[in-house]
Amino acid sequence: MAGLVHHFLEESARKAPEKTALLFNEKTATYQEVDSLAGKVASLLRHIGISQGERILMIMENSLESVAGYYGILKAGCVCVEVPDKSTLAEAAYYIANSGARICILSKGSARRLSDIDIEFVLSPESSFSKPNITCFTWDEVYGQDEDPDKVMIKEDDLASIVYTSGSTGRPKGVMLSHKNLFTNTASIVSYLGLSSTDRIMAVLPFYYVYGKTLLNTHFMVGGSVVINNRFAFPNSVIQDMVDKEVTGFAGVPSTFAILLNRSIFAKTKIKTLRYVTQAGGAMAPALTKRVLEHIGDASLYIMYGATEASARLTYLPPERLLDDKLGSIGIPIPNVTITIRDNEGNALAPFEVGNICATGDNIMQGYWRDKEETDRVLKPWGLVTGDLGHMDDQGFIFLTGRIKEMLKIGGERVSPKEIEDAIIESHLVHEAAVVGRPDEFLSEVPAAFIVPIDEMAFDLDHLKSFIKERLSVHKQPKYWNIIKTLPKKPSGKIDKGALKQ
Amino acid sequence: MSDIQTTIINFIKENFIMGRSETKVDPEESLIESGIMDSTGVLELVEFLEATFNIQVEDEELVPENLETVKNITEFLKTKGIS
Repeated sequence: MAGLVHHFLEESARKAPEKTALLFNEKTATYQEVDSLAGKVASLLRHIGISQGERILMIMENSLESVAGYYGILKAGCVCVEVPDKSTLAEAAYYIANSGARICILSKGSARRLSDIDIEFVLSPESSFSKPNITCFTWDEVYGQDEDPDKVMIKEDDLASIVYTSGSTGRPKGVMLSHKNLFTNTASIVSYLGLSSTDRIMAVLPFYYVYGKTLLNTHFMVGGSVVINNRFAFPNSVIQDMVDKEVTGFAGVPSTFAILLNRSIFAKTKIKTLRYVTQAGGAMAPALTKRVLEHIGDASLYIMYGATEASARLTYLPPERLLDDKLGSIGIPIPNVTITIRDNEGNALAPFEVGNICATGDNIMQGYWRDKEETDRVLKPWGLVTGDLGHMDDQGFIFLTGRIKEMLKIGGERVSPKEIEDAIIESHLVHEAAVVGRPDEFLSEVPAAFIVPIDEMAFDLDHLKSFIKERLSVHKQPKYWNIIKTLPKKPSGKIDKGALKQ
Repeated sequence: MSDIQTTIINFIKENFIMGRSETKVDPEESLIESGIMDSTGVLELVEFLEATFNIQVEDEELVPENLETVKNITEFLKTKGIS
């Protein structure tokens, strides 16, 4: 029987109230303090008339408030909709409309960028919003709340989170995760990483991202500690923070490790307390994996694979097998997950045959928010069709061989080329556009756009770039622009993206 | 405002502030905490500084004291003989 996600916090606060839960900048917060603040968030939500089951949008970087916001939303029986803190106004408007959220929790940075946001309520450090109909609450008002003694009845199958992920249709889709999905996946991760209350993780990954969220939930489940550091922009200060705060764990996506190894003092620094390092969020080149191994001393490296639709985690490669003979594999299923390789009709394939990687388990999502068509496309009677292609060897180790979808993986985040193409076309400056991924040392992949201007003579690329900057987050903006006369086409008339990649 | 400061601010506005040229960049404000730049943004900025001012930025120099604010960047460039 699974439990509820906010019980991780509540149980740890009950067992060890004075234990440090969070370390951020030069401050700390105990489990009791985090739990109390989360209770006040729940209280405020109830006070302003937010009902159980309502979606609450959070656009924040990692902080004490974002953690309290997350667990507070869950305590109130609401659904947490966390989206990237660098979301643009247009993206925020989409999330608000799609999720039906009436309240948005913002940080100082996002509040400043989204001062024109249009929503009923805002909880924010600042109260300068342009729309006159917004009711704004500040964190001082949260701190002034009494903790609500009334508990709402929440069931393990109730929705806990909606996490947006890029869809093949272009617009982001909301992955619905229940308490049970998240709880069981967290328990599985705790088990294979062997986490305990003595563990302390350095969290540079954002909590709005499922991989980042697992760092928080796993450590809160075991009563460990989470070090928040949003300054990976300066990797050297993160490395120093890891030494000073005596972290036992570190988690990154391939670009995190590329930056650490290529532009930081990581290779020259010994982090004596480091017990393990995890990597997920896209396939890491074996050459980079070997370099990471060379520089982490006695710490274990866990290569992992997952999907937002699976609450986060699906497989991990036991560290001893990485050293042994399985470099390049994404490993074996984590506890309580079954992976099969199937053809398009759902027939299971034999070892070494390449097919769709499919997964079953209590961690598999409930579906996409208000999108039955997309849900039916990926949730089949034989499980979640991940969209990745691969094979299993005769020992049950899984190897990725490609992606069915054209989805780009930029710095660990999935981005649909269609979303970028649609934005380019929206400018009315371009007749046709195609976006493909181009390898990048730091981000694994970056978008490269091929465009056919409507009026070649009058076309102004800077004008188009400005237009895109207004609409898409920085990581989705093409890094390369190629102006061409026509796009290569397949006999079917579809754009031949394979030709563009060459 | 020095020419160097203007060059840096123009680069930041063009690349990180969603094309809103009227947005002000306070030379003493943290470019990270204000949400203007992220980790790849810093690397892009460093590439820009290296190319524009023909300097080499060492890994050890990628620290907030050198790159956190526009003021820090201009001070850092002075240590490289650029002013």
